[in-house]
Amino acid sequence: MPDIILSNVQKSYGGGSPNAVSALDLHIGDGEFMCLLGPSGCGKTTTLRMVAGLENLSGGELRIGERVVDSAEKGVFIGPEKRGMGLVFQSYALWPHLTIERNTDFGLRLRKVPKAEREERVNRVMKALDIEKFRNRYPSQLSGGQQQRVALARMLAVNPGVLLLDEPLSNLDARLRLEMRAELKRIHEEFRTTILFVTHDQWEAMTLATSIAVMNEGTLQQLGTPNDIYDRPANRFVAEFVGSPPINILELASDHALDRAAKEWLRVRLGDRSDLGSVGIRPEALKLASSEAAIPTGSFHHEATITGVLPTGGSWIVEINCAGRMIFMTTTESPRWRGGEQVWLHARPSALHVFDTSRSRLTAADKALARADAGVAAVREA
Amino acid sequence: MSSLDHDIDRAAGQGGRLRYRLRLALRDPTTVIGILMAVLFLYLIIVPILSILGDSVTVQFGDERRIKAEGGTFTLYYLERALSSRVAQDLFWVPLLNTLKVAAGAIVLSLAIGTILAWLIARTDMFGRRWFATALIVPYMLPAWTFALAWSTLFKNRTVGGQQGWLEAIGLTPPDWVAYGQFPITVILALHYTPFVILLFGSALRRFDSQLEDSARILGASSYTVARQVILPLMRPALLSAVVLIFAKCLGEFGVPYVLGLPVKFDVLATSLYRSIGSRQTGVAGVLAGAIMLIGMIAILIDAWLAREARRFVTVGSKGAMNRASKLKKWRLPATGFAGTMFIFGVGLPIFTLALSTVMRRPGIFEWSNFTLDYWIGRDLPTVAMKTGILLSPDLWRAAWNTISIVGMASICSGILGILTGYVVVRTSFRPLAVFLRQVTFMPYLVPGIAFAAAYLSLFAVSRGPVPALYGTTAILVLALMADQMPYASRAGISAMMQLGKDPEEAAQIVGAGWLKRMTSVVIPIQKGSLVTGILLPFISGIKGLSLFVILAVPATDVLTTFSLRLVDYNYTQAANAVVLIIAGLAYAGTLLAQKLTRTNLAEGLGN
Repeated sequence: MPDIILSNVQKSYGGGSPNAVSALDLHIGDGEFMCLLGPSGCGKTTTLRMVAGLENLSGGELRIGERVVDSAEKGVFIGPEKRGMGLVFQSYALWPHLTIERNTDFGLRLRKVPKAEREERVNRVMKALDIEKFRNRYPSQLSGGQQQRVALARMLAVNPGVLLLDEPLSNLDARLRLEMRAELKRIHEEFRTTILFVTHDQWEAMTLATSIAVMNEGTLQQLGTPNDIYDRPANRFVAEFVGSPPINILELASDHALDRAAKEWLRVRLGDRSDLGSVGIRPEALKLASSEAAIPTGSFHHEATITGVLPTGGSWIVEINCAGRMIFMTTTESPRWRGGEQVWLHARPSALHVFDTSRSRLTAADKALARADAGVAAVREA
Repeated sequence: MSSLDHDIDRAAGQGGRLRYRLRLALRDPTTVIGILMAVLFLYLIIVPILSILGDSVTVQFGDERRIKAEGGTFTLYYLERALSSRVAQDLFWVPLLNTLKVAAGAIVLSLAIGTILAWLIARTDMFGRRWFATALIVPYMLPAWTFALAWSTLFKNRTVGGQQGWLEAIGLTPPDWVAYGQFPITVILALHYTPFVILLFGSALRRFDSQLEDSARILGASSYTVARQVILPLMRPALLSAVVLIFAKCLGEFGVPYVLGLPVKFDVLATSLYRSIGSRQTGVAGVLAGAIMLIGMIAILIDAWLAREARRFVTVGSKGAMNRASKLKKWRLPATGFAGTMFIFGVGLPIFTLALSTVMRRPGIFEWSNFTLDYWIGRDLPTVAMKTGILLSPDLWRAAWNTISIVGMASICSGILGILTGYVVVRTSFRPLAVFLRQVTFMPYLVPGIAFAAAYLSLFAVSRGPVPALYGTTAILVLALMADQMPYASRAGISAMMQLGKDPEEAAQIVGAGWLKRMTSVVIPIQKGSLVTGILLPFISGIKGLSLFVILAVPATDVLTTFSLRLVDYNYTQAANAVVLIIAGLAYAGTLLAQKLTRTNLAEGLGN
């Protein structure tokens, strides 16, 4: 399957409502497992449906390899029936009046595939998804997870070059979700299809995708590998959307003691800059020390009070009051702290994500902070 | 690039855009079908209404001299005649007043009885409440004038000719006010619409969360305070809605006032309209029909507004919702007795009276020699026109066949059009079309049947353009009935398609199915069930319908309802009652069948 290329794609539903998708450029390479991640209403499902051909573009162009399949300017629109893709709906959308077998071979019958080959292909996908035993049942007799497999099998049977998944795991319970996640990875390898899937669940995106496109309000925020997205968020939105408990944000323009301390700390390392907007520190990057002396020199630190320790099973969320501001920290080591205790909060320099006044990542800061990190390590060894 | 080149480029872009839009619109025939249906509904629903409204302000054929104007020119003569002339009292004002009096009486009475019954059924431990829940709805499944005929079988006095009622026959002459006019009409309409209150109020009560009641109790409120300050305010929307809908239905009610009002010249708007049409006063009929439509529309719009208001405090029946039955204790038996009495008056007595009357030669004489089956299966009877018992009469079978073919045809058409409307409304990318279809198919709901029939008469009585004169044909009945059923059919179709959603069809599209294939192997097979209901329900309400047929049917296109009305006119009491019993039986059996097929309680769906 050739690549799928979206260039400057727009979608508006008219009536003065804001664009559902605007100026979206995306390149989905062959064999990729890409995830569109974002809060509800961010345009991710609309994007998926445009790729499928269930929605048309309001502007821009959609190509599959060299072939333009949707372009208002060129007056071209190729319908979903002719795009050779597969789509698994969030609701599964199995045909309630057909058996599982007929649901699965629907597309093959449509293509008038000879009986022998049809059976062979249906058997193969049914076996791969472990739904052979439901062959003669109707969708209403199956559980959610089983229906999900049938919905997948139905699409895989026609051997689509691209498989589109709309919130594929959202209707499953936690255990099935784990199983299906593994299943999807296996299918991706076994059938060697390109997969584009939509989710609002960051863990799903992190664990499944080879690349993640984070969207918000119809625009692409960041495209990168799961690690990129988490470790180097391109802007405040990505930083705050990904991660739970959410990243701690310090607004540098504010007059708050902690914020002022952060600003001063940064001024020392980055020099005088007028474009510093905010700093984010992930909860697991924070550490606690009982005295100022125990803090590695050079790291960012501040005095604080523990207000609560919440066990979450295997890890802990520590609530910290830092000069009147609530900060969250997570730890996998059983904390020795109790509520009301005075402590010192600290983080190594590179754990600070610096954003400029227009909320984008200040990449210039990254190198300087990484250097500062090396300094901290040296001190500690010494 | 020069500015000229730029312009050319943009022109090409716009051409492309137009081509793109066209390509999208024509990719599948949904929009085309939608446009064709919009045109059809425009002609079958809007044009007749405009036509009769036009009649009321243009000089009608035959009135040129009286009005001293050319036929077809604008005139206020009919409005004046109906609203302010010397005959205006008889034509419009008195019937309007009568309509309002009857409707008000029926509303008060049915609310008083219906709310109590609804509460007994929904929230108490009355004996047999499950049985009563169905039994008390039965009056609604029968044509209203079944009760009118039963009434006149019992109470008809010497004021009019023909066979007397049972009371008169045994020497107790009922006074005119009991036998005819406002009192019996009010009582009968109240009986007929009580089930409506039971359904609406009952379902509101069932949804009502007992915890709301309990919270008030815990805070120390007495049961009187709870009823007045908690339950009643929350039930008010359901009650008001019942009031408005009963009013709208009373407005178009024809059969009952026709049977019971005529002997004492008690006219309501519907019968006055019928008379204007009978005496060929087309213009006045236009004014009356317009007035009925206007009042009907106002009523329904008020209801829609109330429904919106009600949504502001929906009592959400979520997980916590509890429906606890009140213990009646010593009142348990009397309450059951009350419900039983209402069943006897609402169903038992009328049906029993009618049934008995058809096997009695002379009314009110309970001797063996007076009983006969002649009126059902006899031959060589000494009457003028009905020489055989009703079951042997070819007229009955022709009327029955007409009923089934006309109502059946109309129901099948409206059922299919309903599903198609649903499909287009849900699927078309052209939103204005969806909105128009939704609204136009709802319109007949605002127009009482009799006014709608008058509108059809006005449009199709003469040939217009390529459409021949349809009066006297079955076609006009089928078309009118179909249009009249569209509100229910399209509502059913839209909700069925909404429930199905786009996904199953889009899934077929993704694996490569074209439009026709999607329709035949996905959409239609899935919607088979709702299509059957969509045909069956209008069929049942069509069988017992009267007001459309009484205007549009001629003897050749007699259906069961008009046939029995004709028998009433000719004073063949036994035969008329027998036919009404047959209709009631059909309607009841049909409802049960539909209920069985769909495994739901359909009494609520029988809107007509």
